[in-house]
Amino acid sequence: MIFLKAKEDRVKSARAMKKFMKFAGIPLAIFSIVLVVPFVNGFYYTFTDWDGFETTKLVGFSNYTESFQDPTFWSTLRFTALFVFVSLILVNAVAFGLALIVTSNLRSKNFLRTFFFVPNLVGGVVLGVIWQFIFNSALVALANKYDWELFKQSWLQDTNKAFWALIIVTVWQSSGYMMIVYITGLVSIETDVLEASQIDGASALRTLFTIKIPLMAQAFTIALFLTLRGGFMAYDVNVALTGGGPFRTTELISLHIFQDAFANGNFGTGQSKAVVMFLIVALAALVQVTVSKRYEVQR
Amino acid sequence: MKKFAKFGAALVASTVAISLTVAAVPTATAATCAKKTTVTMLGTIKVEIQDQFLAAASAYNKSQNCYTLKSIPGDRNITFLQNVTPMYAAKNAPTIMYTLQEIPDMADKVMDWKGTKHVKLVSPGLLEAAKVGGKQVGVPSTAEAFGLLYNKKVIKAAGIDVTKIKTRGDLEAAFKTLQSKGKKPIHFSAIWWSLGAHFTNIFHTTAGKTHEARLAVLDGLADGKKNLSTDPAFKNWLATYDLLKKYNASPANLTDTEYDASIAALSSGDFGFLFQGNWTEPNLMTAAKGTDFGIMPLPTGTVATTYGNDSIPVGVPGYFMIDAKQSTKAERDGAIDFLTWLYTSPVGQRFVADPVTDGGMGFIPVYKGFKVAPATSMARDIAKYVEAGKTLEWINTYYPAGLQETVGKVSMQQYFTDKISSAELAKAIQDAWKGSVKTWRGATK
Repeated sequence: MIFLKAKEDRVKSARAMKKFMKFAGIPLAIFSIVLVVPFVNGFYYTFTDWDGFETTKLVGFSNYTESFQDPTFWSTLRFTALFVFVSLILVNAVAFGLALIVTSNLRSKNFLRTFFFVPNLVGGVVLGVIWQFIFNSALVALANKYDWELFKQSWLQDTNKAFWALIIVTVWQSSGYMMIVYITGLVSIETDVLEASQIDGASALRTLFTIKIPLMAQAFTIALFLTLRGGFMAYDVNVALTGGGPFRTTELISLHIFQDAFANGNFGTGQSKAVVMFLIVALAALVQVTVSKRYEVQR
Repeated sequence: MKKFAKFGAALVASTVAISLTVAAVPTATAATCAKKTTVTMLGTIKVEIQDQFLAAASAYNKSQNCYTLKSIPGDRNITFLQNVTPMYAAKNAPTIMYTLQEIPDMADKVMDWKGTKHVKLVSPGLLEAAKVGGKQVGVPSTAEAFGLLYNKKVIKAAGIDVTKIKTRGDLEAAFKTLQSKGKKPIHFSAIWWSLGAHFTNIFHTTAGKTHEARLAVLDGLADGKKNLSTDPAFKNWLATYDLLKKYNASPANLTDTEYDASIAALSSGDFGFLFQGNWTEPNLMTAAKGTDFGIMPLPTGTVATTYGNDSIPVGVPGYFMIDAKQSTKAERDGAIDFLTWLYTSPVGQRFVADPVTDGGMGFIPVYKGFKVAPATSMARDIAKYVEAGKTLEWINTYYPAGLQETVGKVSMQQYFTDKISSAELAKAIQDAWKGSVKTWRGATK
């Protein structure tokens, strides 16, 4: 009897497996080839003397110790953390604000939705080049004409201002996308709940904080995760806008890794820094998702 | 060599190489081949002459029926190594590659040119940089030079005779003359690769009078034993740096838009001088039609006899290499055939040396038996310096990977914008060199 049951289970699970593979087999294979295999391979390389072409011997943890002894790695990590923190807050604040505007009863809301989303359709490199022109030439020329002290020198020549330049461009680029996520959250709230609160005499602000935000916590989880990840992975805007300058003080972690591996030819340390970065991002994302999940309401 | 250290450079010259074989490959034109072989080349030489190079390639493809030369567009925003490593990993390496900085990295993967007829035609002194442990890894493309570029119209109108500028003091006098005529003396470019590779080379190339003495300075820096602030050549170089900063009439621009800004400045007719290289000539000529531009030494010493005061740094911006690991013999033969055609056939030579405005690449011939003379003003200036032996070495060819980024993007730009003192600059350069692997001595990582 027990044997029969076990056999039945096996048949069942084999059947389920077959069904699963029928649908997921090809995507899974592609996923493994382009993601899992290179990832494992890259992880293995960090323990070797890889020079970009070949490996000749295992070197233990020396790539990692060398990475951690690199002071520029630490300063880049600090800069990246600051960038992630500030961009996370600003992107989401702006995106949520925009979402509130375009879900209100404004007549131009459809136009505005498109308008706010468009920057997201421009590629990061193009966007960086456009803004480089704005910061380097357009604003400087205007500042000299109208005597604006703030813009007289290009923002990209100064570390702190270049940081804000990066933030401005990032917010401009990604808030339109996050706005879509928030719009989805806002429109998924049942109207009966909102009507009930209206009848009870709740103010708009009260409705926002006690009804809307709790009921759309899921949208926050998604948007926060996307911006967190986007902040850590930011690369193209960084390259095209500041190029890491001035004085390599605005290099984000991705650009730093890229420089280390490909410009300096240190493939071993570059790859191990990439692994460290993966661990940091994974950990940060895990914490963020766990925390924000707690605020989600099951309906 | 503009983007130079990077892939740009790499791409850049490719075209040129091989006049080499002059007659070596028995005129393949007559031969008919059973099967066409496709020969790949990474890049199109430099981006400024991309159209001209592709036109040359298509003329070559039509001239015979054995080989098809195909240029694989690389990503010019990333370095040569960034482009080529994935191709090798995919067992899909290009047959012809063109680079400078990464020659040591490629040495074990490419063909040895030693003993070929090609190499014997190369102008003296231009093979050294592509020799790794006795192996002739590449053959040169063209000669390039950097130094003080000047707008001939502006300089002439100000009544300055550039041949009389023999010392740093003479240069300052010329700057003052320009100012008195209401012109801006110099656009001093802060772009990192110009500062990091070319401007620093002015020191390195005058730091010793022989090749060996100059390499010894690099040894000293790598060992951490060289003290720059007491070096007379370094002091002269630093004083020149200060001089150019003082008379620089443009705001510092540390980003990549600076390259276009510098070309706009010199071609505008408002500026007299620009520290750059002759690779800007096509762009300058396009921007200011009918104006000629010249090149002259950047004198660092206060007396005319100071080593380097009368010479310009001339070098090869890149070398052609032929893959030996993943290519077939037919592909290698085709690669040689193409380069031979380019440098020895009358049609090919015109593509190489004709001015850009006439559909050529405006290169300066570096192979013997070249029939087409350089047609532009700056190219002729350089040819004169080469003929008279008044050339300086490109020690920047020996800089370790990443050094010109570290120095150019950080300390040199910091000094340019007065963020650090000259003593701090000297120390920063020393620190950047300390512990470098002596690739110039054939050492590997």
